[in-house]
Amino acid sequence: MKNVLVVDDSATMRRMVMASLRSIEAVAFQEAANGLEAIERLAIGSVNLVILDLNMPDMHGMEVVAFVRKHASFHHVPIIVLTTRSDDDSRSAALAAGATLYLNKPFNPATLAAIARRLLFVDAN
Amino acid sequence: MPSESSGVTPFILFELAGTTYAVETQVVQQMEMVEHITPVPNAPAFVDGVVFVRGQAVPVVNLRARFGFPRIVSDAKTRLMVVAYEGRTVGLLVDSAREFITLPAEAVKPPPEAVTGLSGKYLAGIATVGDRVVLVLEVHEVLNFQDLLSPTSVN
Amino acid sequence: MPTDSPSTDDGSSAFSEFLADYYIECDEHLATARRSILAIEPQLQQSSIDRSLLDELFRSFHSLKGLSAMVGFNEAEELAHQLENFLSAVRKGHVRLEVPGLETLVSGIGTLEQVIAARRDGEAVPDPSALVSSVSLLLADYAENSNTTAPTASASHSPVSLGEKEKVIAEKLRAGAKAWQVTFEPSPELVSRGIDVNFVRNKLLTLGELVHSEPLIDVAGHIVFAFVLVSNDERAPHKLQAEGLVCEAFLPRTATEILQATAVAPAAGDSESSTHLTPPNLVRVDLSRLDDLMRIVGELVLSRARLEDSFRRLNGVMPGGEMRMLQETNSAIERQLRDLREGVMRVRMVSVREVFARMRFVVRDLVRELGTQATLRFSGEDTQIDKYVVERIMDPLLHLVRNAVSHGLEPSDERIAAGKSAVGHIDLRARTTGETVIIEVEDDGRGIDAEAVLAQARARGLVAPQPAKVSDPILDVLCLPGFSTREQADRASGRGVGMDVVRTVVEEMGGMFSMETKQGQGTRFLIQLPLTLAITDALIVQVADQRFAVPQVAVREVLHSDSDRLTLMEKNELLHYHGGVIPLFRLAELFGVDGAKNDSFYTLVIGEGAQAVGLVVDRVLGLREVVVRPLTDRLVKVPGVAGATELGDGKVVLILDVSKLFRVTRQQVNSANPIVTSLAGGTSSLISQNVGAK
Repeated sequence: MKNVLVVDDSATMRRMVMASLRSIEAVAFQEAANGLEAIERLAIGSVNLVILDLNMPDMHGMEVVAFVRKHASFHHVPIIVLTTRSDDDSRSAALAAGATLYLNKPFNPATLAAIARRLLFVDAN
Repeated sequence: MPSESSGVTPFILFELAGTTYAVETQVVQQMEMVEHITPVPNAPAFVDGVVFVRGQAVPVVNLRARFGFPRIVSDAKTRLMVVAYEGRTVGLLVDSAREFITLPAEAVKPPPEAVTGLSGKYLAGIATVGDRVVLVLEVHEVLNFQDLLSPTSVN
Repeated sequence: MPTDSPSTDDGSSAFSEFLADYYIECDEHLATARRSILAIEPQLQQSSIDRSLLDELFRSFHSLKGLSAMVGFNEAEELAHQLENFLSAVRKGHVRLEVPGLETLVSGIGTLEQVIAARRDGEAVPDPSALVSSVSLLLADYAENSNTTAPTASASHSPVSLGEKEKVIAEKLRAGAKAWQVTFEPSPELVSRGIDVNFVRNKLLTLGELVHSEPLIDVAGHIVFAFVLVSNDERAPHKLQAEGLVCEAFLPRTATEILQATAVAPAAGDSESSTHLTPPNLVRVDLSRLDDLMRIVGELVLSRARLEDSFRRLNGVMPGGEMRMLQETNSAIERQLRDLREGVMRVRMVSVREVFARMRFVVRDLVRELGTQATLRFSGEDTQIDKYVVERIMDPLLHLVRNAVSHGLEPSDERIAAGKSAVGHIDLRARTTGETVIIEVEDDGRGIDAEAVLAQARARGLVAPQPAKVSDPILDVLCLPGFSTREQADRASGRGVGMDVVRTVVEEMGGMFSMETKQGQGTRFLIQLPLTLAITDALIVQVADQRFAVPQVAVREVLHSDSDRLTLMEKNELLHYHGGVIPLFRLAELFGVDGAKNDSFYTLVIGEGAQAVGLVVDRVLGLREVVVRPLTDRLVKVPGVAGATELGDGKVVLILDVSKLFRVTRQQVNSANPIVTSLAGGTSSLISQNVGAK
């Protein structure tokens, strides 16, 4: 069973992300509505993939990426950041901080599913 | 009027002042025996009051009064037919109601011209069941009272 | 990685199943945006605007944009994107936010709302390009600037570091508070018990102000969360340690160090910014589920009442000790039910803030349209009212406020000539007293000219030509269906809501609507509403063999009298009351119930002061909580009856519409009895009942 952590302050957005990955077999979801919650989930459980919205209150998604990469155990967790068309600055910064990939909203659910499947099953050790 | 042009329609038969009437089953929500009706002041004269049916306050239309017949004292046979029609829930108080029948569309004929006046307005048609004449009720007319004065305000 | 649209083959968005969620979330983001704008507006004059407000507004637009893009809603996405762009330029300091910019933002939110509503309601979506152009215009001058700025992380997002907050903490310490660094190490075991970082954060919020939060890696390589809490609660560290949290005193660096640090650090907006606290854990609940809960509570109330009736019958049959225990249990249940009822009600309660905030926009639009100068003032925005009431009172309040701006307030030159301020004031006030919520709309305008109103009404044939007695009835005239002063010609006020509808809506909710006016000084409209709609306390009274329920909130006093306290004046009965008299009306006569006039009777005093009248009943059976069931069918919608209830035996007991009865009886008093009116007037100084007093 693979664990996917979906991080976004919008509940609707989280549901849409999870719906996109419905087609992937053997996947369980965890949700977090803010950066601290996301880090907590990473700390206490085994997370195989993080899908993270950049623009969140209190702790920006980029800070989350930066912090996560600082910890040895999380160096290899793939992180997909979700961005919008105005996020040019944050996007490159997030990649620089260690995000694996970015995906622009709106995205085709099939695209997200394909990327996720690859990261979970093909690229994973 | 029966709802299907080529099928049969179920009806409930009830008695009022010696005459048998029929009303489509599909508009009748339930049949109750009535114990206590709370009068509503300044309601139309044919409205005996309100009762609670399934938690909802439902007006009670005394069908005898509505049709101009003299009122009688309720007894064990008196029934309240709760009809749900055009979004409204209204109870009709009748002398008795026991029978269920089905009628094919052709069995209901338009009321003869001789039946004029208030009563004629409330009929959707006339049917013969065996040797009985059954008057089919037009629920819409029964529930609407443009023909009467509107309720007077308090004093 | 390219952006590709989520459209499926049939052209609809792949995420259409989330449309309902989308609309709900849009509502939330729009409401947040409105709140942010209102908070920003007064800061326009200051040297800099609170950064957290700009961030919050930015995020609202950003979220709306992202969500709209996901559901394939292009107009909304484009609009939100433009607004977000503008906010982004403001945040970066490329554009200074001034009144035109704020106006554009306000229009933007309004247009966004319309666009989304149109889609939701299946109507044609309005074209937002006009608004999009105005935003671009505002940004046009600065287009070059934003392109040349190197894309750095700090430009679009700069976390406020602890260093910048230390100045704030130092000030609070000087004011006597204490600062604590709280550390929490999460673990699966704790999370399984519900103790996660959200729980900890909320706990800290109850103890004081959460100034900073940060994830850290400790020496053992574990992830921990560190918070800085500023609190006036001396027991805070004990409480936190009891929860298993590590709590140490937090000492900010010395003042000079802090000053040096802030001099060097890049200005990240206003250094006085307060940390923006996240709202506590919220649960989204369907209003219909709350309705179900209320209904179940109502049924519990009835069941308990039936149980109590059974107890009474057992009296004398059960041994005394057992009886007492039963009664104690019954009382306990009654108390607990009341708490439950209040608890469920509280869940349905929202503050009137949203309603009031809406008014601001209305006033702003009107002021621009009419050229009147008006300012809106609020008090009691935190007053809680039932969500159902909020929804129903919105339009009536809008009408009253619009009315005040377009009819109540005079043009500035007239005001100045009259010695008033150039800008007119409209006050919106809300407060609760006991079981009632009171909302007032008051203006300091020209007041209502009773003669002019009457003349208008007569001219339209709405009122009989002979001079009428005036005490309260001007509001009655205003509430006549079809009455309006200039409303048809006045686009600003008309919207299908007239004064008559305002009163109907208020009274349908069991409330009262009244008005005071003084020519030259202004007008005040008063709306009183019961706090709970479904369950209410009522006096059960009996007239002949019929029982009625009278909402307790409407009754000032209950008097038990003998007929020797009556005075007969022409055909009217008057009762001695507090040194004066009040006119009496027998409920039996009002309702056509046969009843003898007994020597001993009860009077329910309704109305206040000079307006008070007495309703005579035979007996008062007691005070009960009753569940209100509506009487909606037109066959039984009669004046004087507000609804139906049941006292445990299944028989319907009618609930009286006291306001209507009061008005009707008052009219009778005024039209027929000048003597009675003047007599009753003599009691005004002696009667001083407070509104809502039980």
